[in-house]
Amino acid sequence: MNAHRVALPAIATLLLAAAPLFAQHDPRVEPADVYAITGATIHTLAGPAIEGGTLVLRDGEIEAVGSGVEVPADARVIDAEGLHVYPGLVDAYSRLGLTEIGAVEASQDLGEITQWNPHLTSATAIHPASAHLDVARANGITHALVAPGEGGGLFSFAQGGEGGIPGRAAFVHLDGWTVEEMEIDDSVAMVIQWPTIRTETFDFSTFDFEERPYTEAKEEFDENVRALEEWFEAAAHYRQAVDRGDPARFERNLKLEHLARTLGGGLPVIAVANEKRSIESALEFAERHDLDLVIAGGDDAREVKEELARREVPVILGPTQSLPDEEDDPYHSPMSLAGELHEAGVTIAFGTFTSADSRTVPYEAATAVPFGLPREAALRAITVNPAAILGVGDRLGTIEAGKIGNVIVTGGDPLEIRTPVEWVFIDGMPVDRSNRHRALYREYRARP
Amino acid sequence: MIPRLVRSLPPWIAALALVSALAPSPAAAQFGEGEVVQAPPDRPIPPPFYAIRNATVVTGTGTTIEGGTVVIENGLITAVSPNAAVPPEAWVLDGEGLTVYPGLFHALGQLALKEPEEEGDGEGGGLAQLFGGGETAEGPEDRPETYPWRAAADMLAGEADQVEKWREGGFTNAMTVPADGIVAGQGAVVALAGEPGEMVVATPAALKLGLETSGFFSYPGSLFGVMSYLEQLFLDAERYGRAVAAYEASPGGRERPRYDRTLEPVRRAVVERWATLIPGDEPREIRRAIELGDELGVRTVVVGGHGAWRMPAEIAASGAAVLVNLEWPEGPKDPDPEREVPLRELQARVNTPSTPARLESAGVVWAFYPGGVATAKQALEKARDAVDAGLDEEAALRGLTLYPARIYGVDDRTGSIEPGKIANLLVTEGGLFDEKAKVRMVFVDGRKFEIPEVEKPEEPPAADMSGSWDLAIESPQGVREVDAELEMEEDGTLSGTLTSEQGEQTIEEGWVSGESFRWTTTITMGPSTVEATFSGTFEGDEMEGTVSIGGRFSVDFTGERTSGPGGGAR
Amino acid sequence: MRLREVTSALTLVLAALLAAEPAPAQRAGMEDPWAPVDRDAPVQPVLIENGTLITMAGERIEGGSILLIDGSIAAIGTDLDAPGDARVIDATGRFVTPGLVDAHSHIAADAINEGSVNVSSMVGIEQVIDPTDINIYREAAGGVTTSHVMHGSANPIGGKNAIIKHRWGEDAEGLVFRAAPPTIKFALGENPRRVNFSFPGMPRRYPGTRMGVIDVIRQAFRDAVEYRAEWDAWRAGGRRGVPPARDLALEPLVEVLEGERFVHAHSYRADEILQLMRLAEETGFRIAVFQHVLEGYKVADEIREHGAMASTFSDWWAYKLEAYDAIPHNAALMTDRGVVVSINSDSPEEARHLGQEAAKTMKWGGMTEEQALAMVTINPAVQLRVEDRVGSLEEGKDADVVIWEGEPLSSTSRVTTTIVDGRIVFDLEMDERRQEAIAAEKERLEKALEEDGDGEDDEESEEPETEEPEPRKGGQR
Repeated sequence: MNAHRVALPAIATLLLAAAPLFAQHDPRVEPADVYAITGATIHTLAGPAIEGGTLVLRDGEIEAVGSGVEVPADARVIDAEGLHVYPGLVDAYSRLGLTEIGAVEASQDLGEITQWNPHLTSATAIHPASAHLDVARANGITHALVAPGEGGGLFSFAQGGEGGIPGRAAFVHLDGWTVEEMEIDDSVAMVIQWPTIRTETFDFSTFDFEERPYTEAKEEFDENVRALEEWFEAAAHYRQAVDRGDPARFERNLKLEHLARTLGGGLPVIAVANEKRSIESALEFAERHDLDLVIAGGDDAREVKEELARREVPVILGPTQSLPDEEDDPYHSPMSLAGELHEAGVTIAFGTFTSADSRTVPYEAATAVPFGLPREAALRAITVNPAAILGVGDRLGTIEAGKIGNVIVTGGDPLEIRTPVEWVFIDGMPVDRSNRHRALYREYRARP
Repeated sequence: MIPRLVRSLPPWIAALALVSALAPSPAAAQFGEGEVVQAPPDRPIPPPFYAIRNATVVTGTGTTIEGGTVVIENGLITAVSPNAAVPPEAWVLDGEGLTVYPGLFHALGQLALKEPEEEGDGEGGGLAQLFGGGETAEGPEDRPETYPWRAAADMLAGEADQVEKWREGGFTNAMTVPADGIVAGQGAVVALAGEPGEMVVATPAALKLGLETSGFFSYPGSLFGVMSYLEQLFLDAERYGRAVAAYEASPGGRERPRYDRTLEPVRRAVVERWATLIPGDEPREIRRAIELGDELGVRTVVVGGHGAWRMPAEIAASGAAVLVNLEWPEGPKDPDPEREVPLRELQARVNTPSTPARLESAGVVWAFYPGGVATAKQALEKARDAVDAGLDEEAALRGLTLYPARIYGVDDRTGSIEPGKIANLLVTEGGLFDEKAKVRMVFVDGRKFEIPEVEKPEEPPAADMSGSWDLAIESPQGVREVDAELEMEEDGTLSGTLTSEQGEQTIEEGWVSGESFRWTTTITMGPSTVEATFSGTFEGDEMEGTVSIGGRFSVDFTGERTSGPGGGAR
Repeated sequence: MRLREVTSALTLVLAALLAAEPAPAQRAGMEDPWAPVDRDAPVQPVLIENGTLITMAGERIEGGSILLIDGSIAAIGTDLDAPGDARVIDATGRFVTPGLVDAHSHIAADAINEGSVNVSSMVGIEQVIDPTDINIYREAAGGVTTSHVMHGSANPIGGKNAIIKHRWGEDAEGLVFRAAPPTIKFALGENPRRVNFSFPGMPRRYPGTRMGVIDVIRQAFRDAVEYRAEWDAWRAGGRRGVPPARDLALEPLVEVLEGERFVHAHSYRADEILQLMRLAEETGFRIAVFQHVLEGYKVADEIREHGAMASTFSDWWAYKLEAYDAIPHNAALMTDRGVVVSINSDSPEEARHLGQEAAKTMKWGGMTEEQALAMVTINPAVQLRVEDRVGSLEEGKDADVVIWEGEPLSSTSRVTTTIVDGRIVFDLEMDERRQEAIAAEKERLEKALEEDGDGEDDEESEEPETEEPEPRKGGQR
């Protein structure tokens, strides 16, 4: 860590500096190809915790883990006596790197202005120098799904409902000089904003939501689902033409080409759906088109939990720390949702659906614990499950030899806010835990 | 005036209304024709004496006289008793089988009122205001939407369509007051007949306050903004009164207070204890209205009162009166089948009609007002809901007669059948709260109005016209689509609804005779309404005919049945 | 997603506007969850036994008991006797803390902003309290017992705030915390400038810069000084003649000058915080509390020297430009520099886990557990000047008590019971009964409506009850 750079006046960092501000390697240890973490309790999540274990990371991968593992001669040793090692934490649905300052329009790359964008991937817009990445990382978030989607804006709450395909989500390490270094997979799932039945519309003259006829709302919904249907049918047609016919006889269509990857489960489809009817519609649709479906959001998922479990459709839950939808709903309904789904056998993960708050994802899981989600399940929902859901469970999620070296070393249970995150390894390297916040803190704490 | 009127109509009606309004009347357009002046009255004016004999007389003060006689002389009731002497000038009406009630009181609305002229002060509101379309008030000194000088009595249009419609339904009096504004204006109690001048029974009889805001960007832009503005206004008015009084007491050497047309009536409303109308439905809103009224020092009449069933004793203790809106809360017409209705909403739907009964037994001064209820018939149906929810019929009658008169301080001259009171009467066949009751006669200021029998089908219906119909109306702007849900009873009586892009209208009078049909609907636009009459013939799943808008303009339409009993006409 | 994203991303002005959506009728017995609670009804004494008491006024008391009588804390100790009529709550294995105090809230109000004018001190939250806002209950279920319900940040000088107790079920008057001295909202920065909140064609309201914001406040206080002088002169003149015109906007500002009303200033950037302090000093008053104060850490010494306190978020940042230098260490750094700091919610959601929010100051900035918990109990109580009544468990103080399953600062703990002024407004078991009652009531009413809807009006009409009514048992067979 370069002290001079940390001391730079805040103004220099204010408008999204083009280059990352902070050296990426943890300054407490010299860079090396091999690291050994010793003396810690290692929670592999692939078996029982290992007391006083050793974890060896080589060239980005986990080489060995266990109690009797020998420390290689060329390893830099990190003594983690009394500390705990966990798989790196995951924000299973984030907007990291796509937005910097909520109210500043120029800093938004959240979603395209067109409705159908299967040809786009968030990977092409992720800003590796975003201060948000470092902030999330410092709290032990090592990788995240970055989803394109609705663009926010002042009146976004008053719009939407028609659905669309914002594009493909990338799965990235929260570290890298370039997005290429960050990428685990630049295209890990197709995101579909599922249509909703909007029986209320926002009336700007009264600044209030107003009821509209159900029949009308339902017709609109059916039409919107039909539009999705047409896209998938066209994609199937396109693929058939490519497979059986002569591609020279028709124009290449990138939208259909990418959409076709989802058919037969080649690329998971994340349907952002919160209402029961939207979830049901997505389930039925996915069955018909043989899609590998993931539900994101899932506010009403408890109402279809048996069906989700039966079809093995996982759910990436939105923030547990949110308000119930209806006045009459139990006060804890968003907090007890995860526990109910887990108990019904649904695989769950947690997403913050934000960028700036991505670091709080462990507490979204933690908040579900007193309301029925077992502690172990909460932990798995922010480590093992997201990787498995997104088809990279063989590379990430647990601490096992051969997997990518994304691990964290903490003072205790990462679900607890007070637990310090001591070391963050991404892709086998101990990354700097410094960030914009710590830099400003240091700077002003030193103010005479 | 036309654009404003048209704005609130469903588009297809709006298009028609606009065209009809702009089309010059054929008569007026012809050279040489003009208004007739200096001629004697061109209608029959009988001597002003009547006696209704042998009727059941429900006086509205707690007594019912069987076989009673009511004598009317020069607009007043002069005798009510079983054996009242009938003066020789009186035209005697046989009341056998009929019931005489006090005329009903339309306790709040804009009957007989002309559209107020645009005042310009912070007018607009809604979207226009949000985007800067209206004038922006910058503080209390701009007196936003404050029109206390506006007296309904000076703005009467005389017998407009609505007056006649409500009168035919048994209403003889109304509180009429401009609708819009933080201080909308002075209300007048009017008789529902006659020339503007003779209509006025009492003025000013109320001051109407509103708590609606005119949008975020013009002052006041919020509920508490409006409330604190009213407080400031009334403080200013009070001080104005003092300043004027001090000046009048000794003008010499004093600066003359500037005349202020806004503050003077506000001050008077306080000093003279005008009924001051303040909206409030939910319990917290009712409390707020009462507290605000106390703060302003006025005689508070809470308008709305839908949540009052929760707090009758508290209201009674406050001394405030309540005008109960007859438009009971209902669910949406086309509800989302999966939407869970919140408990509070269910409670409101079930309990609100019990409000009058609870207020009555707690001793609160209350009355009904029609609110959003469009017709006299519907108003009586809604009042019947209150009876079903525990209100006794006598009290329900008073809620429509004597109680509103009392709230507006005119119970010494109208509201019940007593000698000396104004002859405002309603004569029915059947009890007022019976579903089948028919209004036969109405007396307003002693003037008799016979109510024409509703047109009856001449022959039995040729087929069942019930079902869903798609109507295509050939308006000058192109074809407008309207969905009609029709329901026909065996005798040919037709009911149902019409739905267009913007709203829904209820069919009021409709019948099928042979293959002919006819129905009317009323479209309400602020203070005025337009009647649309659909008539024509049908066969199988098709109909054709004309729509007449306000009797001024008509266009053709066709219709096709999309679903119906047994898949179509038999 | 849900409201969180909206709230954090938008100007708080707008979000607050939405939150102010008027809700339908009333509440909280058990048969009818919306039946009103009589604010004058006596409360049953409560004895909480054998818990870990975190009093915020001394050491933890293991195996402690606390006795609540007539709305106050009657005794605290390890071995207390319950009066015969007391309800006894076994808190074995549980933690007992004072009720949490939220120094910045927008719940329970039917209006938040009078945004049309740049000085809206004439309006007051107390006039528009909505006691039926379900968030009062939901927050109580998160341990909050006192909230500072504030005017929004649409203008440099906003309206009068209200301090409420979460006495769920009572009417608006019942909620108001009368012992609290009055406060007023000021706002600096982007919101009063409306930079994130304008439409083409919309009227442009002054001020449009931070220069103008300060000018508006300065001018308003000049007017207030003049106004006060005018009245003083009239009073000094034997109150003869017509008194000066009253001005409802200036009166609260005179109260500020007199030290009777306390200023809570919404603020972000260090420079604007400094400017407002200097303006106040020049005018002769003090800022009581800076709200949000996300860059307070940059001018912590100045804030302390001015005599102001700070109420901030735990870790929100980057939702607008002036929040880009926000750091989660803010609360800790200001505390270290001697400022009294609280963590607030500004959101009905955030308020449900204030314990967690406070815990973040331990992680980011190294606060002790005591310091962290103080930020949601005694410190905000000090800021609202009600520390003699709430914020800690001490004999004679209000019986605002929370029982926790798990440490109150833990992210995996929850509240089991919340008591406000001696009355249990929330507990887990009661909540379950409440849910059952809602379901049963709904079923009953839906049936009643269905039967009514058949057009066959029930013949047996009901007699109106003469006493304060229960809801009609329409259609029950």
